[in-house]
Amino acid sequence: MQRMFMRRVGLALLLMLAATALTFWLVTAAPGNVAALIAERAAGAGADGEMIAKIADDLGLNDPLPLRYARWLGDALTGDFGISLRTGKPMAEEFGERIPMTLALLTGGGVLALVLSLAMGIAGAASNGGGIDRVLHGMALVGASTPNFFVAAMLVIVFSVWLGWVPTFGVSGLTSWLLPWITIALFPASVLARVVRVNLQDTMSRPFATTGFAKGLTRGAVLLREALPNIAIPYMTTFGAQFTLMIIGAIVVERVFGLNGVGAFFIEAIRFRDFIGMQATLTLFVVFFVSINLIVDLLAMLADPRLRRPRKA
Amino acid sequence: MTAPIYQVEGLVIDLYTPTVSVRAVDGAGFHVAPGETLAIVGESGSGKTVMTLGPLGLLPEGVAVDLRGTARADGKDILAMSPAELSRLRGGFFGVIFQDPMSALNPMLKIGPQLAEQARRFAGLSAAEACKEAVSLLARSGIPDPEDRYDRYPHELSGGMLQRAMIALALAARPRVLIADEPTTALDATVQAQILALIRQIQKEDGIAVILITHDIGAVSVLADRVAVLYAGQVAEEGSAIDVLTAPVHPYTRGLLASVPDFRSDSASGTKEIPGIPPNQAQLEAGCRFADRCDRVQPQCNTRRPRLQTVGMGVVPHRVACPVVIAAEGIVTHD
Repeated sequence: MQRMFMRRVGLALLLMLAATALTFWLVTAAPGNVAALIAERAAGAGADGEMIAKIADDLGLNDPLPLRYARWLGDALTGDFGISLRTGKPMAEEFGERIPMTLALLTGGGVLALVLSLAMGIAGAASNGGGIDRVLHGMALVGASTPNFFVAAMLVIVFSVWLGWVPTFGVSGLTSWLLPWITIALFPASVLARVVRVNLQDTMSRPFATTGFAKGLTRGAVLLREALPNIAIPYMTTFGAQFTLMIIGAIVVERVFGLNGVGAFFIEAIRFRDFIGMQATLTLFVVFFVSINLIVDLLAMLADPRLRRPRKA
Repeated sequence: MTAPIYQVEGLVIDLYTPTVSVRAVDGAGFHVAPGETLAIVGESGSGKTVMTLGPLGLLPEGVAVDLRGTARADGKDILAMSPAELSRLRGGFFGVIFQDPMSALNPMLKIGPQLAEQARRFAGLSAAEACKEAVSLLARSGIPDPEDRYDRYPHELSGGMLQRAMIALALAARPRVLIADEPTTALDATVQAQILALIRQIQKEDGIAVILITHDIGAVSVLADRVAVLYAGQVAEEGSAIDVLTAPVHPYTRGLLASVPDFRSDSASGTKEIPGIPPNQAQLEAGCRFADRCDRVQPQCNTRRPRLQTVGMGVVPHRVACPVVIAAEGIVTHD
């Protein structure tokens, strides 16, 4: 168990290193010139070739790529992600302002997806082919096949424009979070509801479920107490994957709802060819992806007694 | 003879999947009294398990079931019960031991607490008493170091120990009928004998009714007072274990017994298989189910369904569904 734990952590660190190296290379390979951008910022239209060359030289942009990556990595490890070319603020400061916003979006969306998927999946399995089951199946299908920008637009039209219940834009109190949370949670909730439903159905036909009935439990009790613990592992693994994917949803949702988060910053960084900002944000995404998946994997290991307490030889 | 505590009569069970329907049990019945062990014998697919567990609603999910006939537990009509009533009956009145303890015990639940919960809910014990009871049940089932095993998960026990835990679980609610569905099939040969001995010991001590579902004739001769031989969803022959095992009348029972290897002879020459395969129960025809494989078949066998007739003079009625052999061998019937 402990060795497995250390291996997972080691693997995660290696993965982060490889992913940041890859994004570093991709960002530098993108069209555009950092030195030219900086010169333009500093001197406006008066920036000439000599000035650009000097800036490139000062920044070490002419050094070989591995050296530049190593230098970047060294800085990043001390928390220095550079200065955004677009806003002129250090990235650490940008993140400090924006991460709480994105975190609130993802946490709320994650909790909503968790609650919705469990409720829908369990209700479907309890109904077992009945009307509720079929309606929920249809809802999950629609939820999993509607793009989030469309969902966002529809929600805004109905709840903000027509009904006027919630603001269309920006953050002002808890109600303003409702539409972003629903938008971002809809897809993962739909996928996860199917995972719950299908795995519960499979578990209910296993011999130990029959034992549950033989113990005198009602079908509802067998479902919740015997079958549900057994779907914990596939559920947690899928939840981890869906939760990390929500960061991609956040890019769209933050823009549509005017939330000043990391996703919105990333879109702007791309538009302005803010290479420093792009690399920093991508690094943040990589760290988020890998660490969430690591945490979920470890939690899933803890949830399974066969892994938590391996049989003594 | 004591009155039966679990009694099933004229049971017909149809199983449906979206594409086929199968008559798994066709007018069969059985009964068992307190202190008695009934063995239900037959090959795979003969309907042993469906007949015994079907009335209790213990068939796997995903198969639609149509069930007719009568089934009485302690005089109460099981088939008329509400789902909640039936749940209570399953938990407290019946104890079930399943075939493969590795898959029949929930991998996410500890052994002991499950036993304690049964004792608390159905035997009316307090939480503390139930916990003690669980440990003593584990000890009684022959599990060494029961206090330690109480907190174990199924994967931490061996197959034989798991089947003992399964037996303890079945007994925790202090049932009046213990149903053992091929309890030794998934176990090593040496463990099989221990498990059978344990079931017999419990049966002797508690005086409960035991239904042993098996295709193992050895297990029948060790445990059973009475035997019912099932073929294609119908009872071919039933009677005391001695009558059925030593003086079988129905050609199927004879074939079944002849196919058991005799380990005292040095070759397989002593065994004889029954030719053919059981009928397709999705499309059954009138007449005797065994006719196609029977060496005593007569023209009438294909048209008329044989009914059970009582033969011999024993205290326990010996009943056989084969008029051909009864007539040919001049066996006296009385009914």
